[in-house]
Amino acid sequence: MVDHACYLPGLDPQALRWKTLTLGHGGGLGHDVAVPVLEPQDMTRLAEHVRHHAARNLRPLPVSRIVDVIDTVIARLLDRQDPYRRRMEHALPIVTGYDAQMVRLGLTRTLKTFRKPELLRFLAEDFPNPAILDGFQPLPKGGYGQAFGPGVLGHIWAGNVPALPLWSLVCGLLVKSGNIGKVATAEPLFATWFAQVLADVAPELADCLAVVWWQGGDDAPERAMLQATDLALAYGGSEALADIHGRMPPGKRLLEFGHKVSFAMISAAALDPAKAADTARRAADDIARYDQQGCFAPHVVFVEKGGHVSPRVFARYLAGALSAFGHRYPRRGLTMAEANSLAAWRHQEEFAHGAQMIGDALGDWSVSFHEGGSGFGPSCLNRAIRVVAVDDLADVPSQVAPYRTLLQTVGIAAPPDALFKLAGLLGEAGVTRIAALGDMTTPEAGWHHDGRFNLSDLVQITEIDARAPPAADTLAAYDD
Amino acid sequence: MTRDDISADLLKFISTPQSSEDAFNAQALTVFDFQFQNNQPYATFARSRGKTPRTVKHWSDIPPVPINAFKSLDLTCCQPDKAAAVFMTSGTTQGGRRGKSYHAALDVYDASMRRNFADRFMRGTPRLTMGILFPTAAMMPNSSLAHYLDLAITGFGTPDSQWLIGPDGIDLPRLTQALEQSEATGQSYALLGASFSLVHAMDAVQAQGRRFQLPPGSRILDTGGFKGQSRELELDAFYDALSQTFGVARADCIGMYGMTELSSQFYDDGNATCPSVKSGPHWVRSRVVNPLTGQSVPKGETGVLAHTDLAHYNIVTTILTEDAAIETDNGFQLLGRVSGAEAVGCSMAVDAFLKAAKAG
Repeated sequence: MVDHACYLPGLDPQALRWKTLTLGHGGGLGHDVAVPVLEPQDMTRLAEHVRHHAARNLRPLPVSRIVDVIDTVIARLLDRQDPYRRRMEHALPIVTGYDAQMVRLGLTRTLKTFRKPELLRFLAEDFPNPAILDGFQPLPKGGYGQAFGPGVLGHIWAGNVPALPLWSLVCGLLVKSGNIGKVATAEPLFATWFAQVLADVAPELADCLAVVWWQGGDDAPERAMLQATDLALAYGGSEALADIHGRMPPGKRLLEFGHKVSFAMISAAALDPAKAADTARRAADDIARYDQQGCFAPHVVFVEKGGHVSPRVFARYLAGALSAFGHRYPRRGLTMAEANSLAAWRHQEEFAHGAQMIGDALGDWSVSFHEGGSGFGPSCLNRAIRVVAVDDLADVPSQVAPYRTLLQTVGIAAPPDALFKLAGLLGEAGVTRIAALGDMTTPEAGWHHDGRFNLSDLVQITEIDARAPPAADTLAAYDD
Repeated sequence: MTRDDISADLLKFISTPQSSEDAFNAQALTVFDFQFQNNQPYATFARSRGKTPRTVKHWSDIPPVPINAFKSLDLTCCQPDKAAAVFMTSGTTQGGRRGKSYHAALDVYDASMRRNFADRFMRGTPRLTMGILFPTAAMMPNSSLAHYLDLAITGFGTPDSQWLIGPDGIDLPRLTQALEQSEATGQSYALLGASFSLVHAMDAVQAQGRRFQLPPGSRILDTGGFKGQSRELELDAFYDALSQTFGVARADCIGMYGMTELSSQFYDDGNATCPSVKSGPHWVRSRVVNPLTGQSVPKGETGVLAHTDLAHYNIVTTILTEDAAIETDNGFQLLGRVSGAEAVGCSMAVDAFLKAAKAG
């Protein structure tokens, strides 16, 4: 069956040209997906359509109602009997190549981040009084303020991790924006289906969002979409982001979520015989989930010397844990380019860095061990991890600081005092998120993505100067 | 066995018209044993893969060295300072380190080149007037390609053959004169050079509004590789342009594929259609493998090339390239360099990481 990607309110699907892409990864069967070939004027029409309907149907709603609608949509997608959920469980593993069970668990874990209690957390995180999205509220400095989301928010999504579009799309809805989002060729279906379920749950909002596609890097449609939106948000590599930046109309803002590197740190305290195996299992979980394709996945594990289990032995524990994980959730098939880059990484580790490789290239994980202390660098992904022995974890932040613009999550296994001490040093070095080892790949609701604000970065505040109401008082009919 | 024994054996092997699978296997295992005994880094590498002369019974089991390793390891069976020649790769990756191949002697290298070149490029013609679009071996003492072309011009060129690249680039007047003379006398001409030099030459000739019609028997040899040195052309466009500019049929435009990490070359039988099928001589075996596992991929599927070149006895016979190819009945179609995987999402690609660190 051919699935149709995209969600195009106000456009006649019959009048559009569609082409079928066979999507898959690393030699699987592939899944046929039809995508519309949209012209720049289609982008303009869609943006105006969602702008118009959002102004009429979405902006007047209290934010609590929007939370309820999203909560209902999420509840449907969490229900494994729901037809859309079933389609996701069927198609997403084929399209992305990820193990089906891993996709199923990952979907559930991600969707759980967007239920009502979590959505309230998103709101509370950015607005002490979320009613500021509904009307003017008193401001601490005096006066009143109301937060207005952009009339149309444009999204350019990446396709590395299923359900990634949820993060920005939900935020766009919470600030009452019309949304137009461009899906990646690598995974165009999740956002499409989310939009369809939303339209089903709340028909009055059916025309407030659109999901579009064009071949990544295609100039004209991208320019047209950016032109038609008030604020844009993009995920991607530095070159793609630079291209998008170059296409932004002057005076409009682009929120960029570029490539990031994350890593893990394991203190000697986490390496006593009773805890080391669990520590390794948690690290393996972070490394293997979605095959390291997320920005929050570790590239390097720094392991402190002096514990009962030495870093070298820990590397073997980790290899064992990865092996066990791979047994339950196999790595996806690699493309020739990925296989080549993994082979090159392994050779590089061995020959250029003198690292000890654990395991052979036939397995679906690679662990290299560096005795040397300094070894921060990117992995080729797909469950390839470098374990670096260090004398003191406190030495790590200065080693990673040169890469500050690239740093994101650090998974830490350490006692409380060390956790906070390291967090301070890592924050100075540019790291924006500290997680428990094992939780790196599941950011919590309302987290500050790359250190930024989910909702308040999207809105602008209109404020009523503190002196305006008294001045208005003098003009009231009831003025004495 | 000593180096002299091996080299004598190999010279004999190369000079035979063909080799049986058994003879190739026996010779390959002998050379593997020699390298295992005399090339310490290679022995360590082979042992780490569980391969020793005791366990390897077939040439396809000889562990291939990834070409990247040449940048970090001195893979040689002789003292590097006693090498007769050191050939280096042109790449400048990995902290500026270049891959090096130390040759204790060049007798087998030269014999391999001559025998194969005579068969595949000269096609029975003993000598041709040659123009070489490449710097001389004296200008580039560490270039295996310069050495190769030196063997071509000295072994197969007529006395009026010449090198056409000087310190200032292509010597256009001499090139034009040589082409004109060939046209006038009807004596066939051979133009040899790196692909990018040929592109420069075509650009220069076209800028003068010239076109040549070289006489029958003329031919062109390109050694592949643009490496960002000039306009990069699609293969079909490249051979069309060569054919139109010099009046040599595409079937007589022969592509050579060689590398610093080998002592033998591969040729196609002209480029009437692209991509052409390339193959090596009977002392080389090539396999198309999965780069990760080293296992051969099914015929018709894309993999990377692994070569076992007996003539490379001074270093290692068996290497794993980063060149993507498809095996065919008579050889392989070269598809270009396998790039690393692009990171598609928000995680980081190695190249981007290095770039960011440089910028930061």
